[in-house]
Amino acid sequence: MKKLLVALCCVAASASAIAAEYLLTVTRPNTLHVIDPAKREVVRSITIPGDGVPGTITVPKDGKVAYVLTNRMESVVGIDLDSGSQVFRADFSSPGRRVKGFFAAAVSEDGRELYVHQAPVVLGRSEYQVEDTYIAVFDTADGVGAKPRRTFPAPRRISLLAPTGNKDHLLALGWDMYLFNTRSGTIEKTYPIRHWDRPGLGEPDVLAMWGTFEQARALSTPYFVANTAAAPDSADAFKAGIAVFDLDAETLKTVEFENAQTAMFSSVINPAARNEAFLVMNQLSKVDTETGKLIKRVDLEQTFYAVNISGDGKEVYVGGALDKIAIHDAETLEKTGEIMMPGGADQSIGWLRVVKR
Amino acid sequence: MKRLRALNHKAQLLEHAVQEGNGEEVQLMSSVVGCTTTFDPGWEIDAFGGLASLCQPMEADLYGCTDPCWWPAQLADGLNSARDWTDGKNSALRDWRELQTLFPGD
Repeated sequence: MKKLLVALCCVAASASAIAAEYLLTVTRPNTLHVIDPAKREVVRSITIPGDGVPGTITVPKDGKVAYVLTNRMESVVGIDLDSGSQVFRADFSSPGRRVKGFFAAAVSEDGRELYVHQAPVVLGRSEYQVEDTYIAVFDTADGVGAKPRRTFPAPRRISLLAPTGNKDHLLALGWDMYLFNTRSGTIEKTYPIRHWDRPGLGEPDVLAMWGTFEQARALSTPYFVANTAAAPDSADAFKAGIAVFDLDAETLKTVEFENAQTAMFSSVINPAARNEAFLVMNQLSKVDTETGKLIKRVDLEQTFYAVNISGDGKEVYVGGALDKIAIHDAETLEKTGEIMMPGGADQSIGWLRVVKR
Repeated sequence: MKRLRALNHKAQLLEHAVQEGNGEEVQLMSSVVGCTTTFDPGWEIDAFGGLASLCQPMEADLYGCTDPCWWPAQLADGLNSARDWTDGKNSALRDWRELQTLFPGD
């Protein structure tokens, strides 16, 4: 363990050295794993204090502290990846008031602020009173026991948050995409998804529960939509597409690429070829978002929920659900490796993030 | 649907909402937040009427559904009412036989 710490510290201290990439994921009951994808091995497993089950992982640019949404979505815990210690903790709920953050948590790129979309419910003796949802802003310097420094109202159903290239902006994915100004607490722009007005298409449906945007700085999600111009029983009655939000340009692109024929849960953009997207569930699919064409698809050995990619765009990682991360060649989509989780513990809804050290 | 009758106060409220033309206020979710908000088809068939897009194996989706309370009728609510349902059973594939049936009094 000490050798690993020394290795991580040396890599961090040597800014001019080529940054190594590590994968982060979580498993039951409440464990954060640091993985060396090049060596195909878990290099460190850190027990997160308190109750599980962990899911969302968000990390600032320096890759030093991983913030994990856990405790049945009622807490965010910050774990120092070098020491393995808890350096931040925010427990949302209080007696009589249950507050959940449903996947949507993101730390600012400089690591100073943590944003969590929260859904509060007052637990009465004979009734539950559902309160309005909001985004809570934490100062990560407040450490363990942190309380929100401020809040601002936010629509319901937001499942992903991501900081953009503008340090005052935060993207939120719900029924539509909302660009928040975190200083004023207002929505500066709404990018319609559910409420788009595209002739011949219905309202799209998405399952955006896994945030994967750090490599290409593009948040993406597969979607499915009714093709209302087609007969309901025809092959093209439903289309599959992908929505890609460029976090630097703050632009949204949507493109349909095939008749819906298989489920896809999450997606990632190739940082080395930004027209390429990889989508996963029971198959791994490669799509050209410029031409709207399915390039390649292979069957996987099992269901994987989450997908990420190496910084050079050569390896695709698929994880979540069971106890395995599989590695596939980004060109051929052939499997080139796998990493088993310690103790065979399931990742379940856990995210799969990449940090550079 | 004509054979369904409202039996309690909440169901009667829903019935009145439909009669008053407010039924459209209830909509399917495109991004789910919280428990009991998902109106997906069940585990029996996938969205295309087949089996290929169901999770493979079925256990791969077991904890992925109970953790965010995705199927509140079919699975334990891991978020609130059955937080300890999977305690000590970290692998759905190997430990599913040890998962216990839940009853309202549990």
